[in-house]
Amino acid sequence: MSFIKKNSKNIVFTIIVILLALVPLFTDIGLLKSSSIVRYGRYITFAIVAIGLDMIWGYTGILSLGHGIYFCLGGYGMAMYLLMQKTGGKITDFMQRGGFTDLPWFWKPFLNLPLSLILIVIVPSLLAMIIGYFTFKNRVRGVYFSIISQALTWAMYTLFNGLQPYTNGTNGITGIDTIIGSYYDQTNIRILFYAALTALVLVYALSTFLLGTKFGKILIAIRDGENRTYFSGYCVSKFKTVVYVLSALFAAVAGAIYVNLNNSISTSEMTITFSVSMVIWVAVGGRGSLIGAVIGALLVSACEFSVSSAFPDIWQYIIGIFFTVVILFFRRGIVGFVSDIFEKVTVKKNKEGSVA
Amino acid sequence: MSDRTIIQLDKISVSFDGFKALTDVDINVNENTIHFFIGPNGAGKTTLLDIICGKTKPTAGKVMYYPPSGSDIQLTGMKEYKIVGLGIGRKFQVPSVFTNLTVQDNMELSLKNGRKVLESVFSKARREELERIDEILDMIDLKDKKNILAKNLAHGQKQWLEIGMLLVQNPQVIMLDEPVAGMGKPETFKTGEILKKIKKDCTVIVVEHDMEFVKLYADMVTVMHEGKVLMEGDIDTILNDETVQKVYLGRGGERNA
Repeated sequence: MSFIKKNSKNIVFTIIVILLALVPLFTDIGLLKSSSIVRYGRYITFAIVAIGLDMIWGYTGILSLGHGIYFCLGGYGMAMYLLMQKTGGKITDFMQRGGFTDLPWFWKPFLNLPLSLILIVIVPSLLAMIIGYFTFKNRVRGVYFSIISQALTWAMYTLFNGLQPYTNGTNGITGIDTIIGSYYDQTNIRILFYAALTALVLVYALSTFLLGTKFGKILIAIRDGENRTYFSGYCVSKFKTVVYVLSALFAAVAGAIYVNLNNSISTSEMTITFSVSMVIWVAVGGRGSLIGAVIGALLVSACEFSVSSAFPDIWQYIIGIFFTVVILFFRRGIVGFVSDIFEKVTVKKNKEGSVA
Repeated sequence: MSDRTIIQLDKISVSFDGFKALTDVDINVNENTIHFFIGPNGAGKTTLLDIICGKTKPTAGKVMYYPPSGSDIQLTGMKEYKIVGLGIGRKFQVPSVFTNLTVQDNMELSLKNGRKVLESVFSKARREELERIDEILDMIDLKDKKNILAKNLAHGQKQWLEIGMLLVQNPQVIMLDEPVAGMGKPETFKTGEILKKIKKDCTVIVVEHDMEFVKLYADMVTVMHEGKVLMEGDIDTILNDETVQKVYLGRGGERNA
């Protein structure tokens, strides 16, 4: 019993992973449509982003409303490589329309796979490091940080839309294949699906490990009392920057995998709405537990899909009401709600046990 | 008690937007003493602590630290976490412990090792450190509350935990801002006894209003008034001084009687 209680989160996570791993089998026996594999694959990448967000928000107390930036930087990096594969290194239609005869300089590294992968990781991390270093060092916190992160997202969105000849503006990069071949080959899609699932397990394991160490306790300490943490001898801004970069890295990796399962990326993934959705995943699932972030991302995305196909006209209202109810009545999200019930039941049992 | 100075404030002045919080303050704090800063509200007592621990920068003057071993260090201009690293700890007025961590975790986070990001991932408390934590928990009477979340402690216990967290760092100087505010008589007494034990190994600076407490435990008292040092000396000198009576004790006399 105590083993189950101690490891309840990890057990739930394992069950979720097993269920997800069965999704391709469910499509084989006709329980799910074959398009479900890419769909759930994309939800898995959302769960990866959500874990990173929970690390900074749920544990450290930094609310970022702009993680779409990092998701898209990873995503665009991957998409640029895939597009270059498709065109064989030649310039694209939108570049020609923009008046180019040569490939723009920053597209050139994306002709090469290892270089592309390095950039997918380095560019978002570096950006997060610069943003994190300056804001946290200057003790920008709370809602002020959230506003800055949102403003940066808006700036990035405008920039990508404006640079039509370089990025294809609002249309984004479309019609690409996957990193291992055709997007319409079911085997490729299955391999990528399991790759995404593996990434989720790795990210979850790394985060769980980190939170179990002194590092994780320092994050909670920063959330509970930032000043006290400074006066306990910790350079809080460095810890914040590191965990912020880590969450950006998770988002970038998720974005890169997402593109493979979506065969396109556009600036719609860079909107503030999308970044706020990420926060909603964590809030609905329950922050500060990791597993809540995973559940939230999967559940909210799945709900959005089914509600929007069942009620195409009013689905946004339904989702909106759902969020409002969760935020008002279950402040610690689904996980908080369930664990409260669980605790009440076990406490009751113990009492009855002691009477008997 | 010794006559060796450990902290020296040298002609410290601070102004906030033109308001002079402190003017030309000179104070010497001696090693292994309990040194009280008293005075009416707004006299600049807490600001003095802020200056020593690096939270506030003085507009003029400097703070010197003379460690028992090693060379003299100027504290003004240093970052607060570096000052902590030198062995100068600070407790805030409101109990500020990490509420969602256990008592034991609160103590372990105060250890000197594993304060760098990378170290913190692999750092584990050593056996002698855990023994030291046990010793301190014993002293502050929280040993049986080790695995309780700090938010479930009583007010007094939180204050002691925070003092304990300072002690884990084996500090040379600890600064306490109204440690007994909101405490009942038995708790106040217990806090005083804890301070008495602490001063054997380090120097204690206390900002306090409770004159009963000051009378019982002060080795040295500095009376602040309107950002200046009004008077300095042992408790008897202070109590018998007429100016002090007039500006401070007289006013609070009834309350403290």
